[in-house]
Amino acid sequence: MIIDTLELEDVTPDDIAPDEPLFVEGLGLDSIDALELGLALQKRYGIQLEADSEDTRRHFANLRSLAALVEERRVK
Amino acid sequence: MTTVPLFLHDWRAWQPNRPAAVDPRLSTFERPSGQSLPAMLRRRLNGLGRAVCDMLAELDPDSTTLMIHASRHGDGERTLELLYALAEGDAPSPARFGMSVHNAILGVHSIASDNRRSLQALSASGDELAALFSEARGYLADGAPRVIAVFSDAPVPARFAEYAPPSRGAAAVALAFTADRGRRVRSAPAATNPDAHDPPQPADVIDWLVDAAPLRSPQRGLAWRLDD
Repeated sequence: MIIDTLELEDVTPDDIAPDEPLFVEGLGLDSIDALELGLALQKRYGIQLEADSEDTRRHFANLRSLAALVEERRVK
Repeated sequence: MTTVPLFLHDWRAWQPNRPAAVDPRLSTFERPSGQSLPAMLRRRLNGLGRAVCDMLAELDPDSTTLMIHASRHGDGERTLELLYALAEGDAPSPARFGMSVHNAILGVHSIASDNRRSLQALSASGDELAALFSEARGYLADGAPRVIAVFSDAPVPARFAEYAPPSRGAAAVALAFTADRGRRVRSAPAATNPDAHDPPQPADVIDWLVDAAPLRSPQRGLAWRLDD
């Protein structure tokens, strides 16, 4: 979902390490990607996030925390 | 009042539907590489945006030049996709919105090249070229040693096509101007008829540069030529 939604070039799922940061360092995503990802989570899994909350930062820290969020909060 | 002279110092152009170029300043590649951009920025640009960024990187390798970007229609495809999403009751894509604005291409270029100079985007209902020349003169009169003026456009989405003049296809041209070096741009009154002549498109500017074809502003009744 991350690769498709954010139109990442030359990146495969194997390139995204579960515990590497997704934003700035690691994969190198930016603030527009964060908004786009939030929208994708809402559309695909029905997960609503608050833009500025500390919790959202924690969920978006890496692939593992994002996967945990989806498992815990998905409604579709 | 004195008018600052305008000299064309260098240029680059991109026109994929043109026969293979003999002039190295003109690229006809269908899919520009966008090699001047890191992959994380490049992914957000379409072919036209990538071509413009690569041309700017070649003309301004030290990222020290003021830039103006004119486009009559901007990115009509992305704007229309946003409108379709809204009409369907969907939330619009933030990335698509960010890239639909008129200064998006220069913005991406400035991030990639760390250019902190003035960057300006404009649209002028078909009078883009005259507006670019005027703005470039203004910056040069203010003391800028060099200004790069970009003119790019792509066909508007099919849904809007009947409301726009026939497009000559996607094309972009970047002109580096100074006040004293290069080939002087001269303008003269010309018999033009706004009803009979379409406003100049980027492809017309490329014909002017490569083939010395006539270049006119129907709105202003002017023709431009380049001194040898």
